[in-house]
Amino acid sequence: MSEPKSNISRRTLLTGAALAAGAGATAGASYWLGSVSRVSHSFGKKVIVIGVDGMDPRLCRKLMNEGKMPNMKRMAAAGGFSNLGTSCPPQSPVAWANFINGAGPGSHGIFDFIHRHPHEQCAPFFSAAETIPGQGAIEIGDHQLQLDFWPFNHQPPQTVLRRQGVPFWDFLDSQRISSVFYDLPSNYPPSPSEYGHHKCVCGMGTPDMLGSYGTYQYFSEDTPAGGVEEGGGKRSRIEFEGRSARITLVGPENSMLKLPVPVTIDVDVHRDTESGTALLVVQGKKILLKPGEWSRWTKLDFSLSAPTPLPSQHASGICRFYLQEIGPNFRLYVTPINVDPSKPAVQLSEPEDFISNVSNDLGLFYTTGFQEDHKARSNGVFDDDEFRRQATNVLEERLALFEYAVENYDDGLLFFYFSSSDLQSHMFWWEGEEDPKHPTRTSKEAASRYQYVKELYQRLDQIIGDINDRYGDKATIYVMSDHGFANFGRQFNVNSWLRDLGYLNSRECTSILVDCDWSRTRAYGMGINGLYLNLKGRERDGIVEPGEEQEKLTRQLIARLKAVRDYNGKQVIRNVYRSSEIYSGEATTLAPDLIIGYARGYRASWETCLGELTPDVLLDNTSAWSADHCADALEVPGILCCNKPFVATDPSLVDIAPSILHDFGIATPSTMTGRSIFQS
Amino acid sequence: MMLSNILSLLNTLANNTVGLLLEAIAYVPGWLSVGVIGAITGVLMLLAFKYTSHQSAIRHTRNQIKANLLGLSLFKDDLAIGLGMQVNLLKLAGMLLALSVVPMLVMIVPTCLLLSQLALWYQARPLYAGETAIVTVQGAANPAVIEQLQLSDSSAYRLAKGPVRVPEQQMACWEIEAVEPGRHELKFALGEDQIAKELAIGDGLMPVSLTRPASDWTDLLLHPREAPFSADSPVQSIAIDYPERSSWTYGTHTWLIAWFLVSMLAAFAAKPLLNVNI
Repeated sequence: MSEPKSNISRRTLLTGAALAAGAGATAGASYWLGSVSRVSHSFGKKVIVIGVDGMDPRLCRKLMNEGKMPNMKRMAAAGGFSNLGTSCPPQSPVAWANFINGAGPGSHGIFDFIHRHPHEQCAPFFSAAETIPGQGAIEIGDHQLQLDFWPFNHQPPQTVLRRQGVPFWDFLDSQRISSVFYDLPSNYPPSPSEYGHHKCVCGMGTPDMLGSYGTYQYFSEDTPAGGVEEGGGKRSRIEFEGRSARITLVGPENSMLKLPVPVTIDVDVHRDTESGTALLVVQGKKILLKPGEWSRWTKLDFSLSAPTPLPSQHASGICRFYLQEIGPNFRLYVTPINVDPSKPAVQLSEPEDFISNVSNDLGLFYTTGFQEDHKARSNGVFDDDEFRRQATNVLEERLALFEYAVENYDDGLLFFYFSSSDLQSHMFWWEGEEDPKHPTRTSKEAASRYQYVKELYQRLDQIIGDINDRYGDKATIYVMSDHGFANFGRQFNVNSWLRDLGYLNSRECTSILVDCDWSRTRAYGMGINGLYLNLKGRERDGIVEPGEEQEKLTRQLIARLKAVRDYNGKQVIRNVYRSSEIYSGEATTLAPDLIIGYARGYRASWETCLGELTPDVLLDNTSAWSADHCADALEVPGILCCNKPFVATDPSLVDIAPSILHDFGIATPSTMTGRSIFQS
Repeated sequence: MMLSNILSLLNTLANNTVGLLLEAIAYVPGWLSVGVIGAITGVLMLLAFKYTSHQSAIRHTRNQIKANLLGLSLFKDDLAIGLGMQVNLLKLAGMLLALSVVPMLVMIVPTCLLLSQLALWYQARPLYAGETAIVTVQGAANPAVIEQLQLSDSSAYRLAKGPVRVPEQQMACWEIEAVEPGRHELKFALGEDQIAKELAIGDGLMPVSLTRPASDWTDLLLHPREAPFSADSPVQSIAIDYPERSSWTYGTHTWLIAWFLVSMLAAFAAKPLLNVNI
């Protein structure tokens, strides 16, 4: 009996098998090759950079010598510890941009927190990012629609990063070496990664849902009926009927309206004084709080109405509630409404989904650039303990993120940023040996608050020790800060000083933005350290002739500024720098003409930063913000601690990027002015 | 009221039959239980459709649809015939829908009962030990009830905060902290009376009753596990804010989609085997 004949011939079967095998092999090879192109080319090389904002070398050395920072001492013994030259001026956005570019402000174009538009005669704006309003729209009823496609081609509003030049991770990216940054300052919106080997969560400079750099909301029974708008916060009155009240959280503006108004969310508040507990009902979610308690992060869904029949759009924010007092004066603090990292309404990371992936694993966390709410402390909404508690919440959250970062790190560059040492120092730092008399606190109080800073340094030392234990023999570890700290007991109003000497007119001028007579004004201050000439051809209403007159005025101002003395004979200004002498590069258009380097204990006055004048030139700093770093760059260097010996004797912020590239075998690019600390 | 009574009865029946069968969910991974239940219910719904629908009429209608589609391509140059066939197609589609009404009516009740039973397992997860949740009691019109109501302490949970009593809204809230894994009862004292609400603590799969409902039919449909409060009860509902379950296949926001997709796939796969016309 013959076997039944198959419908498939042997030849067909063999051909099919060969084709299938070939296809399989091709697919396998492609996948492998694809993987190769995706994996990092660091070949296991690890570099970890811990950025500790504002960590001061003097205090570090003192605590290391006292045995209170043993881990940093251990790391310093293996590698080295040094002052780290900061930027001029030593302001965080400038300093971190120096770190990013491996070059000074002439390369990245950031000279101060605040810049001014010379063509608009000193209209100020935030230096690191700028929001450009949209152009064109279709109007439908109360709404306007911006359609950014043909044939409409409207320009929706956008926020652009103003930092210029080439960030150092681009050189790693192009070599397929992975780099991941958590909370990097001076990088919002995040710069794109061309080759996909760079990841970054934005840090300082990232706004909240209101587009501000942190606006808390505060509700109490003793707030004036009309509410109070203050720098960094909104106060509203809460009025109970029986045990219940309703408060309104103010959210982002609905930009689809012709006259944009903020979207709000009502919160029902019920208090039970018998049990000492309050119930908050937010969009159906219930939160129970006792006085002194913080809620977890709560998601807020802001519904942005669109023209009919289009569906409403939604933006997700997050906030935490802090019940300060339940009675007799009910007081409730609400954090700035942060962009929800699990569903960000704006791009907060590169790649865009990086932050939501982190949030899916880790939960919700602060996304605004300034996380410690110093404004709530400065405005008296928080007392010292409440501010410290909130700052501790931030640190705990950062530590969870840090653990996540380390757990998810294989090789390449890992950068992690801690802000606590900066913002807690601004509030609690007071070096009594330098200046025994604090402007607002008793010496005992000042010392006890300063102890908080020391304890924080010790906590950070433990973190450094932990990372050193885990990676000390496998990675190059840098611990670095952007600047140090100094007391800020007295403030100097440069515009008032210019007025008193007749450089700024009229004598009745209260603000250079409001009532300045530019036809008789030769110089003005804007930002924290910047002084500008009212230069003809550059400033809209400029009167100082470029050339001889400019030079003469510059020399005169430098000499007079250096001669300023306080009532007790102390020198107020240590040095004044000409930007033409200290900056080089292509991004100097917005540079001030002079940079004022204050002596320790002094800083620009609060009013002068945005061009306001005060009757006195020198006055006490009575703010809770009692320490600062916006002094002369030589007064407030940062720190560098590395577990690998380095040869540079006076390293500076601009040297870190070349050093990291050197670690990965990449020569210092021509865009950088710094040099590797490992090369003599 | 009658509808509520009927639903209450059906819930009791579903708890004692479907609910008991679903207890097996606790012992298998969530994705597997959603998949198996989805596949079985897909096939069962297909069978129900087969035996409750007019199969020959459906077959006839579908043949007519095919004929009209064929006609459309054959006579595409003739506008009048083309339009006529399109009208026919609309009518036939409506007829097909009408022929599905009876099986849908037959299936709607058991499907709803099944889904409300499945929701007990997948809509929320139990509290982990150490985790907190808010318990909300909604009282009847008498504000005194809210003032008098007490939540008893227990070894299964700890009273963390509260109560916050809001007599104007007949509402009281407590925050409890889960302590002991298992199925427990929250016990409330109202004078001499005791009122209970089920509490689920654990890290596995177990039925979670979000609310002990009022005797309202919509509440009864959504919360089938616990006996409803009678209309004249001083307490009308007790709810616990359980956490959401996060999973692609059996999470709070996805289990229903997963179940629906699997049941549809199973039904389509079984259609030729069971010779069903849909």
